[in-house]
Amino acid sequence: MEPTEIKALARIIGEIDYYQLLHLDRGAGSGDVRKAYHATSRSFHPDANRHLEPDLRQAVEVIAMRVSEAYAVLRNPRRRQAYDLRLQQGSGVRIQLAEAEALADRESVAEQGRTPQGRQFYRLAERDLRREDWGSAVRNLQTALTFEPDNRLFADQLAIAREKLR
Amino acid sequence: MANIAVGIDLGTSNSCVAVSQRGRVDVLPNAFGESTTASVVNIGEDGSITVGNAAKANIIHDPLNTIYSSKRLIGRYFFSDEVKKAQAVCSYEIVEGEGKSVRIKVRDEVFSLPEVGAMILRELKSIAESRLGQPAARAVLTVPAYFNDNQRQATKDAARIAGMEVLRILNEPTAAALAYGFGRGLNQRVAVYDLGGGTFDISVLEIGEDVFEVLATAGDTFLGGDDFDDRVIDLLADEFMQREGINLRNDAFALEKLKVAAEDAKKALSLEDEVDIRIPDVIVGPDGNPRSIERKLAAQEFGSLLTDLLQRSFKVCDEALQQAGVVARDLDGVILVGGPTRLPVIRQAVREYFQQEPLADVDPDEVVAMGAAIHAESLSSEDTESFLLDVTPLSLQIGVAGGLTEPVIERNTPVPIEQTRAFTTFKDHQESVAIRVYQGESREIAENELLGQFEFGGFQTGRRDEVEIDVTFAIDTDGIVSVTAKDRRTGQEASTRITLSSGLSDSEMSDILERGVADRVDTTHRPAPVVEADPPVAVEPTPTADPPVAVVASTAAVEAPELDELDDLLPDPDLEMVPLSDDDLELEAPGDSSFFEKGEVELTAAAPIETVIPAPLEAPVAATVEEPGDASQATTAVAFIGADTAPEAVGPAGDVASEDDGIDLLLDEDMIAGAELDFDDLESVEDLTGASDEDPEALFELDGRELSDDDGGA
Repeated sequence: MEPTEIKALARIIGEIDYYQLLHLDRGAGSGDVRKAYHATSRSFHPDANRHLEPDLRQAVEVIAMRVSEAYAVLRNPRRRQAYDLRLQQGSGVRIQLAEAEALADRESVAEQGRTPQGRQFYRLAERDLRREDWGSAVRNLQTALTFEPDNRLFADQLAIAREKLR
Repeated sequence: MANIAVGIDLGTSNSCVAVSQRGRVDVLPNAFGESTTASVVNIGEDGSITVGNAAKANIIHDPLNTIYSSKRLIGRYFFSDEVKKAQAVCSYEIVEGEGKSVRIKVRDEVFSLPEVGAMILRELKSIAESRLGQPAARAVLTVPAYFNDNQRQATKDAARIAGMEVLRILNEPTAAALAYGFGRGLNQRVAVYDLGGGTFDISVLEIGEDVFEVLATAGDTFLGGDDFDDRVIDLLADEFMQREGINLRNDAFALEKLKVAAEDAKKALSLEDEVDIRIPDVIVGPDGNPRSIERKLAAQEFGSLLTDLLQRSFKVCDEALQQAGVVARDLDGVILVGGPTRLPVIRQAVREYFQQEPLADVDPDEVVAMGAAIHAESLSSEDTESFLLDVTPLSLQIGVAGGLTEPVIERNTPVPIEQTRAFTTFKDHQESVAIRVYQGESREIAENELLGQFEFGGFQTGRRDEVEIDVTFAIDTDGIVSVTAKDRRTGQEASTRITLSSGLSDSEMSDILERGVADRVDTTHRPAPVVEADPPVAVEPTPTADPPVAVVASTAAVEAPELDELDDLLPDPDLEMVPLSDDDLELEAPGDSSFFEKGEVELTAAAPIETVIPAPLEAPVAATVEEPGDASQATTAVAFIGADTAPEAVGPAGDVASEDDGIDLLLDEDMIAGAELDFDDLESVEDLTGASDEDPEALFELDGRELSDDDGGA
């Protein structure tokens, strides 16, 4: 890896998402994720870059840490789902692992959902959010909430949709 | 002359050194032609130090001055279970050193464990140098995968004392996989079943050509071949007690004879179906006549002594396979590591568990050193083709209020990695927080290993829900942990590399380096009176070995330190710069319901609870956080503060049912904001962290209306 490339990547590491970092499509399967992790590590693993200058080694370390994080998220379907949601919402390109687990737990709550209606309207709202149809998302989430008034996930999503609508 | 890099397997019972040059790997035998060297150190009357089989021969003759199995003690706290166990079975004297560390006292000289390790390393270095004809001061050292950071650091210290540069601390099973798969272009998924003298490790790896990815690692640092010996020792000692009414365990010389006999019997059973154990004159009875032990031990009986130990190892395997997301039949190979895996009874059990024949083409005693040598070569060469993607074997956690911990990096997370979690202060206007770093899988502070701590102060104080402290943990490829705390509002920062709490301070280290014990190791390799391990006969001590006096001071009856000694490590409140009585040093994860589950802090029962979560629909503030039986499975509500994160709940999937009952786990910050925490009665931080050992049943049950603890309180 060229020193200029390393430095450039280290500089923009906070702006690219895990898929971009690992050169993966959003729909990549688990085998692809592993292959991409291995391939990316080949360039950025600190062991492969021991002989670089200290400042470059540091840049490599920064990248390698993010690569591990990306892999730890994308290889795990639960975490990955939580991360994808975050990307959809445009609320960041990074997720802490504990955070992803927490979100995944909430997600699984929603999936199991107490009421079929709540679940159904939430699904519709999810579709709306993906399409960035904020108005429809708000309506569907409001409806979902009438069936499950204390569903925090629904409420949070509603807040997001309202924010976007504004 | 080139300073060549070697691979060293510093084992509990035996050590091995190997070198890899241009892809060719050689184990370097010692002066007696043996590929492994006993990890035993004898301190002579004149202060000279002998390492290896020559020293081992002295276990019977000179038990008080012969140090063995020291790896079991390295990087441990003096009050740990393992140290108590070693005190019960080891004939050398184990004493307490500075900062709850362990020291070994021999002939009025006190050695730290890294020094003992350094003596063994110096011997191995000298073996390598005499075989290679050039300096070998750089090495990859292996440790059990399940070694915690304290043990790893202490191992590094040992190398430094021995005058060696450590290129990498490598996990033993990973090294074994390297030795197995290196340069073979394999695409396989393998398990490494590593049963050493003192520890058991299991790793599951994916080998993709020249990339070695560790999928999961698990282990038990209290399980090894020594335990098998102990079972035989127990059998012999119990039978002798029954027959003669004499407890051989109280006699250092007799105990060592039992130990040697047990180990020889074990080794013999790798080849034979039955062995004769004969220990003539094991002890002199009260009547002045010597007594002997003679007994046959069949492989089957031996196997039955080990059943539960093997089951324990397979439970650990279950865990590793599950974490790796594979089942036994998915594996393309099972690699056996460690001398004890030569035992037919173990091979049979492994075969049954993994439903396949374990690989036989690697020598279980040499494979780890060979893998270390391969890694040493690739780390020293410019264009390394092969590399390792390892994981952290133990979770890194941070101490939070109520004697609990909160994981920041879970075990089996790939390294290097950096993770940040946000915390707030435990109470309003708190001026500093103690950041304590633990390693382990329990949610209880007392059941995890304290790696280190530092105090973070000078941040902008405020209400506890206003203070936002980001704590970042980073683990590098060497497995070294560093921790940074940062005030999110002001950007003020403090960081530390975790310093070894149970090891050596800088000043101790410089004293030790000055003392230069490693230089006292006699590496002239004179022919030694090595005890021939003649399989069918377990022990044949020479007549001169018989102790003239039967009873030597007991080493077994050492008072067990109290469990709560960990608390003694916590800072003395009187010595702190900030008043701790009030500004308690505990952090809490904001909204961490775990705080309510267990703790000493009194919550006023009728505390008003205000809901500040900006939810469009006002959820009733009702939380039932039920503590499941297993603390490690405890429901956890965690909040992440800050712009890019939202409050959220964590809980094992099995707990979601509780949420279906209209229960809101997201109370977190509100709870804390609303509940009044009364600390005025707290004298010190111990009052909080000591919670778990005072009354393990003390739980906070939250049902939304009532916040109460048991009346133990603060």
